[in-house]
Amino acid sequence: MTMLAELTAKPAAEVSDRIGSMELAWLVHLVEQRYECRLDLTDDELAGIRTVDDALVVFRASLTASADG
Amino acid sequence: MAEDPTATDPGWVDEVLFAGHPTDVCLRLPEPVDRATLHRLVTAAQDRLTAAGLRPGGAAALRLPPSLAYVVNLLATWRCGGQAILLDHRLTDHEVDLALARLTPQVVVAPVRTGGGALKIFVDVTEGVTRYADRPAVSGHAVIQLSSGSTGPSKVIGRTAADLVAEVHRYTRIDGVALPGERIILLPSMVHVLGLVGGLLYGLHAGVELVPPERLSGDAVLAAISAGSTPATVLGVPFHIGLLASTRPTGPLPQLRRMTTGGELVPAAVARAFTDRYGVPLGNMYGMTEVGVIGTDLYGSHRPSISPVPGIEVRESGGELWVSCPASPYVGLSDPTRWSDGWLHTRDAGTVDEDTGLVTVRGRLDSQVSVGGMKVDLTEVEATVAELTGVAAAVVVWDDGITAYVQPDGPLSEETLDKLLAERLAGYKRPRALHLLDQLPRTTTGKLVRSTDALRSAVTR
Repeated sequence: MTMLAELTAKPAAEVSDRIGSMELAWLVHLVEQRYECRLDLTDDELAGIRTVDDALVVFRASLTASADG
Repeated sequence: MAEDPTATDPGWVDEVLFAGHPTDVCLRLPEPVDRATLHRLVTAAQDRLTAAGLRPGGAAALRLPPSLAYVVNLLATWRCGGQAILLDHRLTDHEVDLALARLTPQVVVAPVRTGGGALKIFVDVTEGVTRYADRPAVSGHAVIQLSSGSTGPSKVIGRTAADLVAEVHRYTRIDGVALPGERIILLPSMVHVLGLVGGLLYGLHAGVELVPPERLSGDAVLAAISAGSTPATVLGVPFHIGLLASTRPTGPLPQLRRMTTGGELVPAAVARAFTDRYGVPLGNMYGMTEVGVIGTDLYGSHRPSISPVPGIEVRESGGELWVSCPASPYVGLSDPTRWSDGWLHTRDAGTVDEDTGLVTVRGRLDSQVSVGGMKVDLTEVEATVAELTGVAAAVVVWDDGITAYVQPDGPLSEETLDKLLAERLAGYKRPRALHLLDQLPRTTTGKLVRSTDALRSAVTR
């Protein structure tokens, strides 16, 4: 939520939970910058993301997978 | 040339776009595609389009994501003497069906297989061509684009070959664009005017390499800049400035000359964050689907104003900006409040400085908003929501994002509403926030209230 707030310059509490493709690209970008890694997500994984919570689940799975590998 | 080229006179493609040396690299995907290769691909595509039923004076609808297949089929359509109808690949089947029924292309080109992966800017596409109708094109325009409109499901905008050629030539006279032998790092979609004319057509004409980054991320843009030794200009929309401003370059980028964006105005803080980090000019462009590029500030020295490009006149009429445009670009629409006597009424509020000629755009005068560089008319969104089964009334406003307030006509869940809208509206047009209310606020005379404050407080009541 804080990351999305950076994009829209709004307080985190006012950020909508729904995300579009641009917000999603922004979140992937910031997560990659912060963790210095690349999230190799598939089209299907991205297509399934409709809210911030969905994104967190997919990102965690991807970060865990890359830490294991 | 005896007369202006039209959609049925394909000579301009070879004269204006294919005139360079056969070994010049046109595109890096990242494999280089040179002019001879592109020419061969285009010729083969012409055979497929013709076999499927495209004839001179007919139209081909291209429903393709940004891809080599899109570039090839677009050029092939023109070389066949056809009109290209550009359909954004994010449009739903519902939106596409409406457009096809209205524009009656002879063939439709769509992907049969798409590969690549997530966040791709350029996609691997294998396309298929299907026969659609057996009628001539609805107009003599070389290209037809759809814009979200208040007058129907969408506004149909046409541009003639002569008009596209004139815009390409305007680009060659602008100080600060990528020069022959240089590169454009291309981020905007080539289905829309900035990427189409400012990227693809200008690049082919001037001998500028077009380099779409491997995917949509700051690192990928920097990697694309570093991948070549020649000067690079990044072309994008304001979202991409934020992306680069928040990316740490791992080394110097001597090739980076400039970043230029079109679309809405960039907040001063974002512009500063970018120039502090990269030390190159951040240019700004103002244009419209109807006429292409109107004005620029490629050195970032007049922000937020722009200076009209050579060959374009801008004047102010009653607080609205009017742009010189010899013929009405609208197909099947005669509306003197949008175009009259050689002037396009932009519906942008703005001023023109009498002494310097600088133009300052101050926002829209109608219900159009910009979502990541894409124009969306809230009237279209509201009409689509209000027409859904189970909806009694709806108001759609811009409240830091497209926001819909819906009064259901019986039981209706947010999930159902979401699903119905996903079938009818492309993702970028869909409301980011949905509020279901037993009663929408109305005035004493029964009109729907549109003030965001009143709507917000109706939700919390």
